Amino acid sequence: MSGPGPHNLDRVPDQDGYLIINGDGAVMASSGDLENDERVAGILMNMVRLASRIKINPDKPETFKRLSVVFDDFMYVATISSSKVYVSKRRHNPQEPVLA
Amino acid sequence: MENNLERLLDETLNNPGVVGVLCADKQGLCLGVKGTATPESSGIVVALSQQAALLKPAASTAPVICLESDKGNVLVKSHEDTTLVIHKMPVY
Repeated sequence: MSGPGPHNLDRVPDQDGYLIINGDGAVMASSGDLENDERVAGILMNMVRLASRIKINPDKPETFKRLSVVFDDFMYVATISSSKVYVSKRRHNPQEPVLA
Repeated sequence: MENNLERLLDETLNNPGVVGVLCADKQGLCLGVKGTATPESSGIVVALSQQAALLKPAASTAPVICLESDKGNVLVKSHEDTTLVIHKMPVY
């Protein structure tokens, strides 16, 4: 099986790990918290498949470019490129809203 | 109760950038819809929210799911047995 090639996912700021998943749901590359995490990969693939059926713009058959799942302290950010799903797990430090 | 939900959906729709809003129950049944959101998507968003909850089973609150594109965002958040979907357009 060929590798995913250069991706520079390890340079994403505030990152705790990444996954690269192919169209069959197999993990092609991983690191950090997500190293060989096939459970998270399977859930995120299900989510990507479901999300691709949701129309964002009612006028055009356009689907999402980025899927974020935001928890209190971290988030998963996923995108699709050349039939592969790239997932990054990032620390989430929500800023307090500025009250004018 | 339906009047309260209608009023809340209207109030949400009147926020800046919001173009559509949908409310669904835990079985994917659409409870109310306004603007660009379509009732056909209610089952998919509830399934999406249920999958997202599996990512952190110990979490006390459900995550916010955000589908982003150039033309707008879709935000999904579940609370107890209800899922709310908000369609937003970029405001410049």
